[in-house]
Amino acid sequence: MGAPGKTTDAVLACGEVRTCLLPTREAVDQQVAERLLRLRADEPVRVSKRPNRYAVSPDVLTGVDCRLPTANGSKVRAVGTVTSRAALVEGRVLQATAYFSAPAGGPDRRRPWGYYLVRPGVLVPIGKVSPRAVAEGFLTRHHQDELDVGSIAEGQLSRISRLLADSFDPPLTTTDTRVRWAASPASDGDEPPLRFTVAEDGLRTLDLRLPPGTAPAAAAALCEDLALHDWLLTTVVDKLDGLRLGSADGKAALKVLRPLVDHLLHLWLPKARVERPLEALWDALEQEPGFSRQWETQVRRVRDQLLLQAILTQREALGASLTTS
Amino acid sequence: MLVFAASDKGGTGRSVTSANLAYHRALDGDDVCYLDFDFGSPTAAAVFDLPDVLSEAEGRGLHSYLKGKTGEPLRVDVWSRTEHPQLRSRPGGSGRLVLLPGDRTGGEFVTDDENLHRCVDLVLRLKREFDVIIVDLSAGRSYAMDLALAATSPRGGLGRLKTRWLVYHRWTRQHVMAAAELVYGKQGIVQAGIAMGHEADALSAAIRFVRAAVPNLESPLWSQVSPAQYAWMRQCDTQLEEIAAGRGIGKTRVLSSIPLEPVLQWQERLITDEDVHDRRIANVETWQKMGELAQRLTDDKYWGQL
Repeated sequence: MGAPGKTTDAVLACGEVRTCLLPTREAVDQQVAERLLRLRADEPVRVSKRPNRYAVSPDVLTGVDCRLPTANGSKVRAVGTVTSRAALVEGRVLQATAYFSAPAGGPDRRRPWGYYLVRPGVLVPIGKVSPRAVAEGFLTRHHQDELDVGSIAEGQLSRISRLLADSFDPPLTTTDTRVRWAASPASDGDEPPLRFTVAEDGLRTLDLRLPPGTAPAAAAALCEDLALHDWLLTTVVDKLDGLRLGSADGKAALKVLRPLVDHLLHLWLPKARVERPLEALWDALEQEPGFSRQWETQVRRVRDQLLLQAILTQREALGASLTTS
Repeated sequence: MLVFAASDKGGTGRSVTSANLAYHRALDGDDVCYLDFDFGSPTAAAVFDLPDVLSEAEGRGLHSYLKGKTGEPLRVDVWSRTEHPQLRSRPGGSGRLVLLPGDRTGGEFVTDDENLHRCVDLVLRLKREFDVIIVDLSAGRSYAMDLALAATSPRGGLGRLKTRWLVYHRWTRQHVMAAAELVYGKQGIVQAGIAMGHEADALSAAIRFVRAAVPNLESPLWSQVSPAQYAWMRQCDTQLEEIAAGRGIGKTRVLSSIPLEPVLQWQERLITDEDVHDRRIANVETWQKMGELAQRLTDDKYWGQL
């Protein structure tokens, strides 16, 4: 993203990340991951093993010609393409992202598709727009006849779910989350670099101020990383909230706790794929609200509960053997 | 688990019993979602006591989603949104209880491949998030039912999901015969399913009947009737049992019998523990039978081929 002013430079990037558990009994290996993520025949799935196992599909472009959401209600039509991709973390958590960048203005009339196709991932407005109004509208409004990048991302999740229809067997139920993000270039003002809001029904909004010149793909990667960790935290907190504490039936507690240990606790690895200049934004989240702090507390709770269950089970077994002898 | 709630006629207690079933599963710790596929007369919002949801669902409900008018069907968290005073505090250890309402003005529509794909995508997505998905279908052989049969057929995309059908009927001669016809008749669920690629045995093994509003002659409700009335009702009950058995919906195919509950005659609502034990307006048998239905739903002992 460049500094605002030049109409050809992107002054805004927006997108949505959807995060869910891959609905298979076990985490999938690299081969299966590659099969699931092969969205295009001409480009391979990219895989990496360090610092964790990660596979990401090639980018897919979706052509759109529709109204952009704006906070002030002004009608802005934009034409171009939205980039989307899907990724698998440790063969266990599935993420789909759809995003675009936009300049502050474009031609006054709609151009032929060729004009837009040479600008992949860019939505060119017809006429001028206020980037702030679009960013705020994108984060807060959702109208039927306006651009819905979330459903493009959901389309990727659905496609992968359909491939798994025969082996559909998630080891635990989890809520999908949607992180809707908008990134503008940081100015000299003292605005916070990041505003993270948790709305209901799995929706989160993320308002970012990024160093000028940040590529939209880097912004998308940062948001995916935040979305993954927010999803992990949300899932573990939800499961612990639902735990019947002090219940006589240890099996019920174990049924909830075990899948967390088996499938989720080892996935926490912030900043695994975040570009260095953007790491400061993660650090801001670590300060307030303190993602890793909360995670550590939850993980301790899981372990304490398991320890307690183990002691109780042992005591029961001991009691049983004493009464029988 | 995917559960379809069907009935031949309206007024069989299908929606209200299914909603109570969802409530009991959630109390037991399952994450449950309830899909109001009753195209034309969505009632679930009323049963869960969510008065604002009907207008909220306009253009954002399940019909709009299936028709492609919205990418995201509205979801309503029952625990946090209900106006039912006893439901607002979610009990400890309970699972999520979410309603996906239908649009009020949706009406019936012809199903096509597009609807089918959207339906399959939605169910697969909900399957990630919920243990039990209850789909309340409109009465009779509806388009909603065709959609359900097509989606769960081996070619439909949901063929591998564990699916169960509950067919509700009242305990009268007309209702018993109509329920049998709905399942085993020429135009019935089994025949329609076979035409869509279902295996007849597997499909009928996944169908059970729920008798609703069944008068229990031994209950205090009927203690004041004359000996002649009692004898007549007893005789009717026996005859009905014979008719049901003769039509293939006898006791072995019944998952549960929900007794006639005065509260439900007055108001379609969830029966809570408080209604039974504190306020004493509902009968304890109703509460127990709803719980029994919820237990048996996932107990393989009550399912399979007979």
